[in-house]
Amino acid sequence: MSSGVLTMAGKVVGGVGRLNWGIITVLCAIAFIGVMMHFSVSEGAWAGMPLTHSMRFMSLLAVAIVLAATPPRWWYEAAYPLYGVVLLLLVGVEVFGETRMGATRWLSIGPLSVQPSEFMKVTIVMALARYYNDLRPDRATTLLWSLPAFLLLCVPVGLVMHQPDLGTGMLIAFAGIAIVFLAGLSWRYIVPALVIAAVGAVAAYQFVLHDYQRARVNVFLGLADDPLGEGYHVLQSKIAIGSAGLFGQGWMQGSQAQLNFLPEKHTDFIFTMIVEEFGLFGGLLVLLLFAMLMGLAISVAARVRSQAPNAYFQKLAVAGVAATLACYVLINTGMVMGLVPVVGIPLPLISYGGTAMTTLMVCFGLVLSIDNHRDSASARRVR
Amino acid sequence: MSGDRFTRRSLMLASGGVVGMGAVAVRMAHLQTSDFLSGEWTEQARENRYDRRVVTPPRGIIYDRFGVHLATTRRDYRVSVIPQDVDSDPRRVTPQSRQADLTRTIGVVAGLLGHDEAWVRRRVREAMVANAYEPFVLRQGLHWDEFCAINVRLPELKGVSADDSETRSYPLGPVFAHPIGYVQKPTQREIDRVLEQGPEGERRAVYLRTPDVRLGKSGLEKTMESTLHGEAGWRLVEVNAQGRPVSEHSGGERKPKPGGGIVLTIDADLQRTAMEAFGEQAGSAIVMDTVTGDVLVMASAPGFDPNLFVNGIGQQEFRALNEDEKHPLYHKALTGSYSPGSTFKMVVGIAAKQAGLTDDWKVNCPGFFPFGGRNFHCWKRGGHGTVNMHSAIKGSCDVYFYRAALYAGPERIANVARALGFGQTYGVDVPLPGLNVTTAEKKGIVPDPAWWREIGRGKWTDGLTVNFGIGQGDLQVTPIQLAVYTARLASNGRAVMPRLVREGPGVREPQAFPMLPHLDPSHLAAVRAGMYGVSNEGGGTAISASNLGIVRMPDGRIVRATPETRNLPPVRIAGKTGTAQVRVITAAERLRGVKSNDSLAWRLRDHALFVCFGPWDDPRYACAVVVEHGGGGSAVAGPIAREIMRETLLKDPSRRPPARLAQLEADGREVPA
Repeated sequence: MSSGVLTMAGKVVGGVGRLNWGIITVLCAIAFIGVMMHFSVSEGAWAGMPLTHSMRFMSLLAVAIVLAATPPRWWYEAAYPLYGVVLLLLVGVEVFGETRMGATRWLSIGPLSVQPSEFMKVTIVMALARYYNDLRPDRATTLLWSLPAFLLLCVPVGLVMHQPDLGTGMLIAFAGIAIVFLAGLSWRYIVPALVIAAVGAVAAYQFVLHDYQRARVNVFLGLADDPLGEGYHVLQSKIAIGSAGLFGQGWMQGSQAQLNFLPEKHTDFIFTMIVEEFGLFGGLLVLLLFAMLMGLAISVAARVRSQAPNAYFQKLAVAGVAATLACYVLINTGMVMGLVPVVGIPLPLISYGGTAMTTLMVCFGLVLSIDNHRDSASARRVR
Repeated sequence: MSGDRFTRRSLMLASGGVVGMGAVAVRMAHLQTSDFLSGEWTEQARENRYDRRVVTPPRGIIYDRFGVHLATTRRDYRVSVIPQDVDSDPRRVTPQSRQADLTRTIGVVAGLLGHDEAWVRRRVREAMVANAYEPFVLRQGLHWDEFCAINVRLPELKGVSADDSETRSYPLGPVFAHPIGYVQKPTQREIDRVLEQGPEGERRAVYLRTPDVRLGKSGLEKTMESTLHGEAGWRLVEVNAQGRPVSEHSGGERKPKPGGGIVLTIDADLQRTAMEAFGEQAGSAIVMDTVTGDVLVMASAPGFDPNLFVNGIGQQEFRALNEDEKHPLYHKALTGSYSPGSTFKMVVGIAAKQAGLTDDWKVNCPGFFPFGGRNFHCWKRGGHGTVNMHSAIKGSCDVYFYRAALYAGPERIANVARALGFGQTYGVDVPLPGLNVTTAEKKGIVPDPAWWREIGRGKWTDGLTVNFGIGQGDLQVTPIQLAVYTARLASNGRAVMPRLVREGPGVREPQAFPMLPHLDPSHLAAVRAGMYGVSNEGGGTAISASNLGIVRMPDGRIVRATPETRNLPPVRIAGKTGTAQVRVITAAERLRGVKSNDSLAWRLRDHALFVCFGPWDDPRYACAVVVEHGGGGSAVAGPIAREIMRETLLKDPSRRPPARLAQLEADGREVPA
């Protein structure tokens, strides 16, 4: 009994040496930038947002390291059950959900208030990875055998969009589509699908989107000019970025952010504040860190040995995490510069908020776990 | 092989991510480059960050001729409230809670200042629609003890502040209400008008809406606005997105250019004497220097307190002033038009002399003059007996001047009247050319046959000429014209022009006045002698005005008569009474016996006039007094004129060194704020 616990602890400690320290370092660097920005938002007060943000990150990093010790097989086995539970929670949101600010996203379970759509970002990646892992490789290219995957994807996306939560729904969809793409769906279907998607987007604009979402799209497309309404966010953000220059106005010196002209500066628009205070170089540094993180994840996927059990699940899941991360970053930074419409998507690890950080750190727990156990078979042989 | 396909596609996905991030980086760089090229975003950030606050310039001071402050700037204590700061629970603010908190807070202030519930309700209503982040002024013009009372309670009055500001002040109040006028906040109509003038107008409108901005609305404050106002400055104040100032840090400023001061020709002491001399009467008085044209007194009674207007006069107070039958708001000295009555007889006399009438020409006055089938009456029912020009002026014989007018003819009378100053404006209230403001002066009417035809009344009749002879009929003159007329008579026919502003930017030194053409000084001397008789000889209508109680000292100074000075020569004035009929006396009334003025309603009584100059032997000051509905000229206007003239002669302001503007302005700046 006690020896079992000792073995377990020994595995965790032994695993530390093989942890992917590159990924952990980049995660810490990004989170540190977040802390700095929250320090600036709080006008130099440590208590409050900067403290919470760093405590949150430290605990979640610990969780990710513990998760790194879990064998990838556990993730594989848990993929469908977890997907099922989260899907049930999403249905629960539909039925019992708590409505805040016009959207039903939260579910209260005892003292906890959870947002199941966030968990779906992880579980969709796992479930689809498992589906393609179990599928005969040649079938992955066909439309017919892709249909179950789309079903797995569309049900949660539909539920999330209905909440309505356009940003999260899009992220889940992109993560799922990325895996379907990686799994090898033939271009013969991809190209028509893109066309249908374009038509669908127009149709969605007309019939599915809520008025506030449509207003944002209108402003983005230049169909509506509304500098004090929906366009205000982006205009103020552009002003802040445009006036920043190469090195910015200095930490805690950005007038747009510090004087509250910039809305949502601690959440969705935090990238603007980074650029305003640290300039073009600050912005490029953040982008570079995220690109590094993505690259490190992709390299983990590439290094999964094909002889390993569930190797394909591991590859797809890790690549799916990388794709989700890229979506987060691109949509968020594109949004604050007026490249894409304003949708509520935070900048991972930097924006203030626990749910998105939890999701992402769990995702990287998965990546670390897979990387950690890359050579487990051979390691055991050596020992 | 699925492994290869995965590798290929994951690389494609990764490159897609990199391209996306590249696009973001390019966009970022583009935003900044476009800013580097155009400065657009930096400018917008700066516009966001700083609010340009107007700094109003201190208004130019108006001095009397000896440097007494007539319109100045004083500290004004006021109490304001910032609506945003009164909330008892700032986390949960609703319009209802805001209103309740404002009512509570303003209620406490009202208790300290002694205002009622209605005042509180009005202020709350106004504060609810004002900018919630800016101080909303609850009351200005606090007394020091009120200011202290508020200050003591400030700790418990969240959002309330008591501070001071600069405000226009008229230390002598009603005494100078008319010539100086007052300033007020720009009206919505004025703002709308400048808004029509394009972008420049919009900037101007923003300025006009600034709470401390005041514009001259009447008198010299209005006509000299461009001189007095100065140029506004500005200061960039760092504000947050809600418009609340966040620091003292200023992003730059331009100091305002103070308005220029002006020195008037008026003597504040004499002006006050004149206003006091009127007592409860309504009317106006003007004193002029016959040599320089300086207006020493320009009084319109009753006055009103111009200070009431500066920070907004209450509706009831304004209505009371506006509907007063004595017309306190009316600048009577320039805009009151009256029949000159008998004060016009000197004009008729000169015209008759021009026509060849000599001193031998005598008229018997039985008390009436039958002409054209009706009787023209003399004011003296028994008649004057035989009179010549001298005694006719002295006794103000109407019959003599009926006949003198017929002798002279209407054209000649009108010409002399115009030469001596009637029927024209002087722009005495618009001292600078090109001010783009019009004078408040009325032109008056000098009728003649040509005018009579022009207005479509047909042929002039001799009956009109007869009436013209005693200054009645259509003839209308203003007090300032009467003063100019008297000054021109006194100066033996110089073209004296009145002026109100001695010194100020762009005001030029006056030239010596030339002699008026077509006037014979001997004719003027003859009527002046008659005027001397009026107030100094037996039978004069204003003999009561003769004893001014002042004498000339051997050194030329004029002093009050005392037992010790009884051997010194008294200083005398020459004058002429006048009574302007307000209502026509019907034949029926005349038959019943003309009612005395005292038995008539005030507004139906005759106007009383008196013109005079002095000292008789060396004329320097001319004075015109009109007492509205005062009854007879000798009884009412004469004593007022005598009082004003005595003080004028005693002070003799023309011979004292006037204040110099440069010196006054320099002194003013040394006074610590």
